[in-house]
Amino acid sequence: MSLARVYWRGLWSGRLVLGYTLLLSLTLFILAPFLMITLRSVGKGWFGRLWFPPQLTLDWYRWAIEVGNIPEVMKNTLIIGVIAVAVSTVIGIFAGWAFGRRQMPGKELLMAVVLLPRMIPPITYALGVAKIFYTLELVDTYLGVALAHVSVCAPYAILVLSATFEGLDERVLEAAGVCGANTIKRFVYVVLPLIMPGILASMIFSFTHSYNEFTLTLLTYGPHTVTLPVRTYLAVGDGYWEITSAMAVIMVLPSLLILAMIQRRAKPERLVGGLKGV
Amino acid sequence: MTRFWRSHSSGLVTFLLLLPALAGFFGLFFYPMLLTVILSFRPEGEIAGWTLENYTRFLADPDGSWVILLTFLLALGSTALSVLLSVPLSLILREKVRGHQFYRLMVLVPLVVPGLIGALGLLLFWGPRGWFNLFLLQFVPFVTQPVAVNYTLHGLTFFYVWLYFPYTCVTTLSALEALDPAIEEAGAVAGATRWQVLRHIVLPLITPGILAGSVLTFMAAFGAFSVPLIAGGNYRPLAVEIYKQIAVPIPARWSAASAIAIIMGILQVGFLALYMRLVRRGGGSARAVR
Repeated sequence: MSLARVYWRGLWSGRLVLGYTLLLSLTLFILAPFLMITLRSVGKGWFGRLWFPPQLTLDWYRWAIEVGNIPEVMKNTLIIGVIAVAVSTVIGIFAGWAFGRRQMPGKELLMAVVLLPRMIPPITYALGVAKIFYTLELVDTYLGVALAHVSVCAPYAILVLSATFEGLDERVLEAAGVCGANTIKRFVYVVLPLIMPGILASMIFSFTHSYNEFTLTLLTYGPHTVTLPVRTYLAVGDGYWEITSAMAVIMVLPSLLILAMIQRRAKPERLVGGLKGV
Repeated sequence: MTRFWRSHSSGLVTFLLLLPALAGFFGLFFYPMLLTVILSFRPEGEIAGWTLENYTRFLADPDGSWVILLTFLLALGSTALSVLLSVPLSLILREKVRGHQFYRLMVLVPLVVPGLIGALGLLLFWGPRGWFNLFLLQFVPFVTQPVAVNYTLHGLTFFYVWLYFPYTCVTTLSALEALDPAIEEAGAVAGATRWQVLRHIVLPLITPGILAGSVLTFMAAFGAFSVPLIAGGNYRPLAVEIYKQIAVPIPARWSAASAIAIIMGILQVGFLALYMRLVRRGGGSARAVR
């Protein structure tokens, strides 16, 4: 124990140096992969033991766009993302309102059931989803892939929105009623501004999950619905690391934009969803 | 009569509100799961008949046991490392050091970036020609060969940590920030050293937060698919094994894949139930009171 105390005292006296070392190594640990991808995507003739590529080029991006068909793939990803976000948000608003504001028997159990897909690895139900979609001919359609994404996105939307609606103060609504606002006015001028941040957060998180979703896409995609993660996976299989890196850079940029939005507008804890329903 | 109608219409409204979620749940989760269960008991490639062969074949095969063990090893190893990384990190970030906003952003990066991209970059960085090995070869004496990280067990664990530690870190940090500073001050006033405050007050109080976060990391690591698919090499955890069953052989072995999927689901839920029980029994609150 006393040894631990001596050790601790030593750590405490050097805490500034130690702390910043940890933080800087963390930054390096997190950012190094992106640094390497970026360098690889603009480098030419980068062989052997060199820290930086000897020549710079944008050829790999041209290849990625022309051969890798990135604009088309980006369009697919966005369309699928928008459909998935729309469906999940509708599910989330309705179910969130029910869970957050209405009494019902067995609420906890029902919520745990609806959130169950978060507990199970997606690959386990992706098989069944793929089987069903093959029979319904939903495979390789925007709607099909987007619906598959909904199974991942919707639980997060429900979580975020039920918390938002639960936090809505009844007294504010009453006050508006006392001041003479009718139901519609109350909704438009009071409720909507209060729940907008929650809805926005839910949409951002749903979109992130759809944009990154790989497992369910891999089992339901087809030649017309290749999304960015699947395209990157196929490119990795082809073995052209430079072109793959260029695709990865293009793909990471929207993610970083989303990150900035999350940092500014939403609580990051919500992104991990907490333990509710586990 | 009116009251009867009102109470029932209210129930109806609740049901209608829940309808889209329930439809999604049954259509996109429950029915596919059911189908997978049924498929796992069908002889391979047939639409009728029942058999246990898909299960017995996988479980009796030494490879099958190894796959299960490997999945647990990877998930538990990366969860433990995530906790070891997250606790000190959260303690530092709580102090609102200079630029803490930036470091908080760094913690979130792996959550929003597609796992495949992360894996790709990690392969490049830790590979034989990556910066890690360049650094070792040029600045560390006695290192003449590149150190193998990619496609090894420890390397894969390391990649998992990169991808999944934010779950633990974000939860730990929010548990720390929810802590009332007055409790720590009370400890300090009562004569406890900083170490004692940390060891006997702060850590027990945030243990539920750490455990909750580590469960999330464990779940994600147990179900990890994209990273081991491209960075696993010969190490194939359950998720990849399932995918290989339908992607590699022709015709695809859906029944075998379904059986492994069911085994995976049962293992995950079973382990989680056990874990939550342990957490509730030995959880932080009891220790914090002591």
